[in-house]
Amino acid sequence: MSSDIRKWFMKPHDKNAGAAKPSAAGAAAGAPKKPVLSIPEKAAPSSVPGNQDASARRKTSKYFAPKTEKDADVAEKSSSKRKLQKSSEDLENDIKPSAANKVLKDEEDDDDDFVSPLKKKTPVKPPPLKKLKAASNDDDQDERMDEDAETPSKSAGRGRGRGRGGRGAGAAHGKTTSHDDDGGDDRMDEDAKTPSKAAGRGRGRGRGRVGRGGGTAHGKTTTGLDDEGEEDRMDEDDKTPSKAAARGRGGRGAGATPGGRGRGGGGRGFMNFGERKDPPHKGEKEVPEGAPDCLAGLTFVISGTLDSLEREEAGDLIKRYGGRVTGSISKKTSYLLADEDIGGVKSNKAKDLGVPFLTEDGLFDMIRKSKPAKAPVNKHEGNSNSEKLQKSQTKSSPVKAERRAVDQVGAMGKSTPSKSNKESNSTNNQKVKVVDRGSLQWTEKYRPKVPNDIVGNQSMVKQLHDWLKSWEGQFLHSGQKGKGKKQVDGGAKKAVLLSGPPGIGKTTTAKVVSQMLGLQAIEVNASDSRGKADSKIEKGVGGSTSNSIKELISNATLNYSDNRTKKPKAVLIMDEVDGMSAGDRGGVADLIASIKISKIPIVCICNDRYSQKLKSLVNYCLLLNFRKPTKQQMGKRLMEIARKEGIQAQENAMEELAERVHGDIRMALNHLQYMSLSQSVVKYDDIRLRLNSSSKDEDISPFTAVDKLFGFNGGRLRMDERIDLSMSDPDLVPLIIQENYINYRPSAVGKDDSGVKRMNYLARAAESIADGDIVNVQIRRYRQWQLSQAACLASSIVPAALMHGNREVLEAGERNFNRFGGWLGKYSTTSKNKRLLEDVHSHILASQQANLDREALRLDYLTLLLRQLTDPLKTMPKEEAVQKVVEFMDTYSLSQEDFDTLVELSKFKGHPNPMDGIQPAVKSALTKAYKQGSSSRVVRSADLINIPGMKKTLKKRVAAILEPLDDSLPEETGVASAEGDEEELSETENDDELVPGDSKPKLDLQSDNKKGIQVQLNLKSNGTSSSAKKAPARSKTLGSAGKAVGGPGGKRKK
Amino acid sequence: MLWVDKHRPKTLDKVIVHEQVAQNLKKFVAEQDCPHLLFYGPPGSGKKTLIMALIKQMFGAGVDKVKMENKTWKIDTGTRTFDLELAMLSSSHHVEMNPSDAGFQDRYVVQEVIKEMAKSRPIDAKGKRAFKVLVLNEVDKLSREAQHSLRRTMEKYSASCRLILCCNSSSKVTEAVRSRCLNVRVNAPTEDQIVQVLEFIGKKENLQLPFGFAARIAAQSNRNLRRAILFFETCKVQQYPFSANQVAPPLDWEQYVSEIATEILSEQSPKRLYSVRQKFYELLVNCIPPESILKKLLTELMKKLDSDLKHEVCHWAAHYEHKMRLGSKAIFHLEAFVAKFMSIYKEFLCAAFG
Repeated sequence: MSSDIRKWFMKPHDKNAGAAKPSAAGAAAGAPKKPVLSIPEKAAPSSVPGNQDASARRKTSKYFAPKTEKDADVAEKSSSKRKLQKSSEDLENDIKPSAANKVLKDEEDDDDDFVSPLKKKTPVKPPPLKKLKAASNDDDQDERMDEDAETPSKSAGRGRGRGRGGRGAGAAHGKTTSHDDDGGDDRMDEDAKTPSKAAGRGRGRGRGRVGRGGGTAHGKTTTGLDDEGEEDRMDEDDKTPSKAAARGRGGRGAGATPGGRGRGGGGRGFMNFGERKDPPHKGEKEVPEGAPDCLAGLTFVISGTLDSLEREEAGDLIKRYGGRVTGSISKKTSYLLADEDIGGVKSNKAKDLGVPFLTEDGLFDMIRKSKPAKAPVNKHEGNSNSEKLQKSQTKSSPVKAERRAVDQVGAMGKSTPSKSNKESNSTNNQKVKVVDRGSLQWTEKYRPKVPNDIVGNQSMVKQLHDWLKSWEGQFLHSGQKGKGKKQVDGGAKKAVLLSGPPGIGKTTTAKVVSQMLGLQAIEVNASDSRGKADSKIEKGVGGSTSNSIKELISNATLNYSDNRTKKPKAVLIMDEVDGMSAGDRGGVADLIASIKISKIPIVCICNDRYSQKLKSLVNYCLLLNFRKPTKQQMGKRLMEIARKEGIQAQENAMEELAERVHGDIRMALNHLQYMSLSQSVVKYDDIRLRLNSSSKDEDISPFTAVDKLFGFNGGRLRMDERIDLSMSDPDLVPLIIQENYINYRPSAVGKDDSGVKRMNYLARAAESIADGDIVNVQIRRYRQWQLSQAACLASSIVPAALMHGNREVLEAGERNFNRFGGWLGKYSTTSKNKRLLEDVHSHILASQQANLDREALRLDYLTLLLRQLTDPLKTMPKEEAVQKVVEFMDTYSLSQEDFDTLVELSKFKGHPNPMDGIQPAVKSALTKAYKQGSSSRVVRSADLINIPGMKKTLKKRVAAILEPLDDSLPEETGVASAEGDEEELSETENDDELVPGDSKPKLDLQSDNKKGIQVQLNLKSNGTSSSAKKAPARSKTLGSAGKAVGGPGGKRKK
Repeated sequence: MLWVDKHRPKTLDKVIVHEQVAQNLKKFVAEQDCPHLLFYGPPGSGKKTLIMALIKQMFGAGVDKVKMENKTWKIDTGTRTFDLELAMLSSSHHVEMNPSDAGFQDRYVVQEVIKEMAKSRPIDAKGKRAFKVLVLNEVDKLSREAQHSLRRTMEKYSASCRLILCCNSSSKVTEAVRSRCLNVRVNAPTEDQIVQVLEFIGKKENLQLPFGFAARIAAQSNRNLRRAILFFETCKVQQYPFSANQVAPPLDWEQYVSEIATEILSEQSPKRLYSVRQKFYELLVNCIPPESILKKLLTELMKKLDSDLKHEVCHWAAHYEHKMRLGSKAIFHLEAFVAKFMSIYKEFLCAAFG
């Protein structure tokens, strides 16, 4: 019985093909002997004259050709499953006993496709005939289909139903697929499945009314397919780009239609499709075919929602036929494409300007009419074959989905030969041309010869030209006459730096311009060694160690001195200067030195002029920033080249190519050359297809990535796209996601008045983010990098899949953009505070008054400590309070910084600051009192001291033994120089008991403070582990001891 | 000086709360030797006090001469070398350190540092103990690897070195380590004992305690003696003579957490979740350990929660605490708990009240 379904899938083909039926039968008859997977043998149906569905199938098969085996498996699997379902459900389809069918199918899965339609076909009476008739005339048929869509009479409905049968189901399938992407969790799955089921049912009913069995089964089948073929689904996803999803939705709507439901209403209930509604009759209309370039010269503006096409699709359609699509209305606009007058800006403006309105049907008519009636059938096969393939590819990709599962193998058989035929044709065609083409790479062959050939950046070219021209006069002669006048005149720089993305012709410009000026260009690039030559740069060529650059700029045979003998002058082109690294030690510095003494102009070229390495170089160069040429500029040039190479190319195809490669002409040419190997006609769709997968990698910022993941269409992204996005910065993206996921109103939630569902989603997203953290620990701590995909899934993809939707603002005054992850900042503050607390802790421990851990200090002690420190200041008279507090601090050997730390740590937002209510006078009195005491204070704590002039901080903290200050200790004015050996120093400090001297009072403290600042700076520049903040604290805490070590001519007391 | 420290018993004889334990420990002093010890018990029960008293009695006043040092060790793991810095408090007889401070490198602390310390015998035996005492704090926070390394060290250097381990929960210390030690359980003092201590302090400080005042503080302290004494002193700072129904002001962070709890219970929305996150950050930035936050938050939530939900919420709190320990970014887990709670609670409210 499963064959029934397949017959449904076959139907469009039969209908359209008409004559193909017998041949299919023939194939079926002949086929059974062949093994299941013998694809190429199944050539029979390929003779079907270019009808759309056949071509679609061909497309499908072509697409899946490499996967045939797997797909066949899937098909088998799915069909068996279908069988199960059907036997329980299907009441009408008893024409064929399932057992018999099963046998057949067990033998040969794909044969069914051909056998069953035949069997099934017979009971079907008038409508197919009608359709067959219709099918006999290609043009006519299209029209009729359209009519049908308009007038859903019963028979028409059936015709349509059948015609679209496969598509509807496939679409539903496609839909599901797009959803399942969402992170593969059950809920989403469910959601996705429900609609497809619904759609299937809708169809089933419709069909049932017409007396056709298998409708229900059909719906089910779709679901069944969804259920099983994870792989299958993924395959499809890979193949059909974003289009699949879009189409899929349309298809569902169509599926529901025959059932007499609200048209296309099925989808909207559970999914909010954002700002723009879906086309109401999505995917229901046959997209017409027309003559190529029938819209050439016309400019369209699309407004509002169209009847059946997504805007993107409409744009593609127009471009395919040579039209242009612009964003806003101008006088040049030929038509405003709109199906409903929503009275927006565009339509108003169009009315003002008198731009005619065009409905979608109108557009279709236009395209259709353009098609020459005489168009021979053969033309389909040969010439426009590729075009059609493409078309059906973009358009009916979902069809492929289910059809592939069912009659894939057969279709494949059909299409493969035809394709190969075509290919051999085209290669034959091309062979002729190839001969005269030579083997030169196009990028070399069409490298601009004169500056005017350079695409875009003409002003830069001119600037470079002027600069080179005036160089000699400016630097050489003036340099000769008056030496002091080198850099004086204005902003004249001795070198020039061209910057810009790769492939836009920087090197070419430099070469061409210098060539034009008759300068000999010497190119040095990353492949040459460009290291620092010798410290004495003037040595030049004579020095044994001098490098090539030096030689070049000072070589007598090249420099200006030869100018007099009328030999060509030289210009040095330093390519890829930002690539100077590793091997080219000191390269940039040397280059700068070279520039200073150079006697020939130097042109430096780089990609990123803001690179850290080039920072110093930038000052010596005239900066010329090359921009990407516009797509029009590039398109023109590409057209030219294509013409020269004998390729027929559409202009908008070339522009599309230009756009896809992001302005990289070199890459565009490479693509073009590659394409020229297989085809002589390059159409818009070719470009779309080819470059969809291989579009140039772009740098995406983490914000863009997060925007895309969370975006309204985030659910439609493919899995690999999502992984790419979240992997674009595996550290930052999860953080930004974590920061912002709360702000999104998930579109998957749908109607949710109470917010329970959203909260539920939030909880799951949060859980997943937490999981991601755990995985991350494994990665970082145990270096399990193989888990990085899991981490990215848990920390980015799952939350984004759950939460994607519209962003909301949670706080008043917040901008509705994704915030940068707050974690990093908070983490650094936390660790800073932890260090400070650790300082306090060690001070307290050193005081020997308490023995506690840090946690207890923070959790239990802190409140009281703070009270003891601040309360007296608030309540008691100044003198008394200060004395008491200082005493208390001394007991626990707390320093002033510790005091501040304690205050800082007990500040909570929204709570009163513990320091409130303390008079500034009291504060300063406290500081004063503390400092006064510090001279006689016992150093109790161990601290890190950085000695100025030393590269690293001391290895060990300077430790002090806690003993009552013994004043009687003979003061041995230490002579140990502070700059002394690090090892020795720390050792002595360790062994010696460092007791601060009380001899150097105030003055020392002052200088100490300064030292503190200096220390801080040192710390920063050294990048040592100790915090910057620590340092001043240190030296002060230590009082004069700190100074003893750190101060100049430090005196250490023993 | 704070009363907690001022009235801390310096010798085993003066211990009030864990007299029994103190008596046993005194026997070691008499024997001039002791096995490895593992002290465990809740915070504020007196572990450290006991340890310090024990050491002091064993070695005499010498242990008071301590120096605080931040030592750096060069660790060579074979594949790379790096510096490890650790603060340690040492006297000539004992060394105290907190190896878990080294984070996930704690293994090297145990392998290298402790070995190095343990290897050298103290020179100035002078008829005194021929061993050093190594006090390791927060052993339960050591990673598994570190604990495994620890057990070998314990056996190998037992001749020259005694380890005294100190932790809150013995269940987080591996079996192997536990079996090598004499385990000393230090219970949280009962409220009666706390009252006893408070009264003792009150007497020493010449304070008049109103009837029931000490008991109230004891109840508030949650059987944490340290906290009780701190509360006691806070009350004193706040107001003296004590009034009859005076209570100590809550700790700053506890108060903040209970505010969060109130917020969560009053509204469950993404907006609220966001503001709760900000508050969590505030707590974390102020060095409040996330575990304490979660625990306190749960306690606060429990107070106002319907009994139907209690079980489930506890379950999730435990779940997220576990995950928090596995992970490294505590805020994620705290937030996940709150989001989960909000989700559950909201669902519950909607089901109950429509």
